[in-house]
Amino acid sequence: MKYAYFSALFCMVLLFSCKPKKKTAAADAPVAAAQELPPELHTDLYGNWVGDFVSVVEGEQDYEDVARINIRLTRITEDGVEGRSVVKGNDRPMKGTLTLTGNKYSFIMDEPGSDRHDGRFEFSITGDTLKGKWKAYKATEVRNPVKEFVLVKKPFRYNANLMLPEDWDYVDYENGRTKTELYTNEDGTVDTSINKVYRMASEEVYKINGSVKELTEKEIKNLKKLDLEIIRNTIFARHGYSFRNKGVRQFFDQVEWYVPVTNSIDGVLTGVEQKNVALLQRFEKYARDNYDTFGR
Amino acid sequence: MQLTKKHKTTAQFLALALLGFFSFLMLEITLRYIPASTRASFLQIKQTEVENLWYYLPVFYTHVYTSMFCLVAGFTQFSRYLLREHRSVHRITGYVYVLVVLFFSAPTGFIMGIHANGGGLAIFFFITLSVLWWAFTLRAVMAARQQQFREHRFMMIRSYALTLSAITLRLWKWILVQFFHPSPMDVYVIVAGLGWIPNWLVAEYIIYKIKSK
Repeated sequence: MKYAYFSALFCMVLLFSCKPKKKTAAADAPVAAAQELPPELHTDLYGNWVGDFVSVVEGEQDYEDVARINIRLTRITEDGVEGRSVVKGNDRPMKGTLTLTGNKYSFIMDEPGSDRHDGRFEFSITGDTLKGKWKAYKATEVRNPVKEFVLVKKPFRYNANLMLPEDWDYVDYENGRTKTELYTNEDGTVDTSINKVYRMASEEVYKINGSVKELTEKEIKNLKKLDLEIIRNTIFARHGYSFRNKGVRQFFDQVEWYVPVTNSIDGVLTGVEQKNVALLQRFEKYARDNYDTFGR
Repeated sequence: MQLTKKHKTTAQFLALALLGFFSFLMLEITLRYIPASTRASFLQIKQTEVENLWYYLPVFYTHVYTSMFCLVAGFTQFSRYLLREHRSVHRITGYVYVLVVLFFSAPTGFIMGIHANGGGLAIFFFITLSVLWWAFTLRAVMAARQQQFREHRFMMIRSYALTLSAITLRLWKWILVQFFHPSPMDVYVIVAGLGWIPNWLVAEYIIYKIKSK
């Protein structure tokens, strides 16, 4: 019997000692392959170039349609440049060329063309500024086929303590209600005034952090739906989630620390964040179904 | 203007129609809890209590399922015709009402009140409501058993006024939200009191009017 234990132990030792060996063998292969690739150039340009992606309508910049974009340069070699563009929930790969004249790096990069919103980026980097233009391949199929942008380099690092700035008003300008009011003029005639009414978030949106600790029902019970949504979306924003919905983007696109890096956050949220997202969504649903109805 | 008999009949008809309409809405709210689940409707924001208090769910569902029967009494119990011509209808419905209020709806309302949303003031309002409701109903049934039907009538007017808080509370909430868009718990504290205190005052006014006839 004792013997059996020993042999089992011996087998296990063998098993475990084998594993690292295999790993080193496997790890060797890509390194060898990488050496055959052309050397990478200008790696100091790598990273996230972030700023406003502004529509150009009849030669003028139209700030009605603006979104935070991230042009990520991931690989530069003699053969060309690879990168990604992340904006409005679209995370697209792109490939192109780089020409260097003086201290100006000029890029022409193309998205694959398989998405309706794909197009060609032409931009140049001088010093710490990236400046350029984008044109959609299918100009008739998108609303604003020409964009301009001036970007600066920003590192992306997840930090659970990041909060929305305190000195802002968080007004939902994207989902206004039209309110018709009757009013009586001084001469007795009655006119109607049509006003747009917007929801404003409470100050809790920059006080409650859904990334650092588990929220309780009590903490969020007095929040309206807009507050709940913003607190939940701030969790996603910390992870660099690129929002598709303009109603959500309006609160984050101007936030200094916000860098859109991905449109997929599956498996990225921490355990605390997952619980808080579920809790906030439950309260959002309750608010949506019950807030302005006959009931509690 | 002198109220004629015709006016009164119209008013009674309107009151019954309103009661019917709101009872229908209450039935619709009750049906959201069928089948019973730990996260149905209102329970979505009550998970702290659901998970930590073993008695919360049974108490909550007892309250939800039995309280509809209290409202029904309003259709029959204030009818002079039923009282005179079909006394058994009045007696049977009355006993159902009294049993449901005293043993189910009011005690469960009291326990739920202890854990009410909205903090101390809302808790105070809900607890007071359930205690008064229970006490008025008990005194009403005792008065009837002692053949003091005038006292029975007054107590039942008070009791049913508080029963109607189920409707008025939700109606006030709807009105306040339409006009002021308050935060959910701010409105909740207000309607916790506004839901029944005016009802009680109206009941006292009705009783005063009857007494001064």
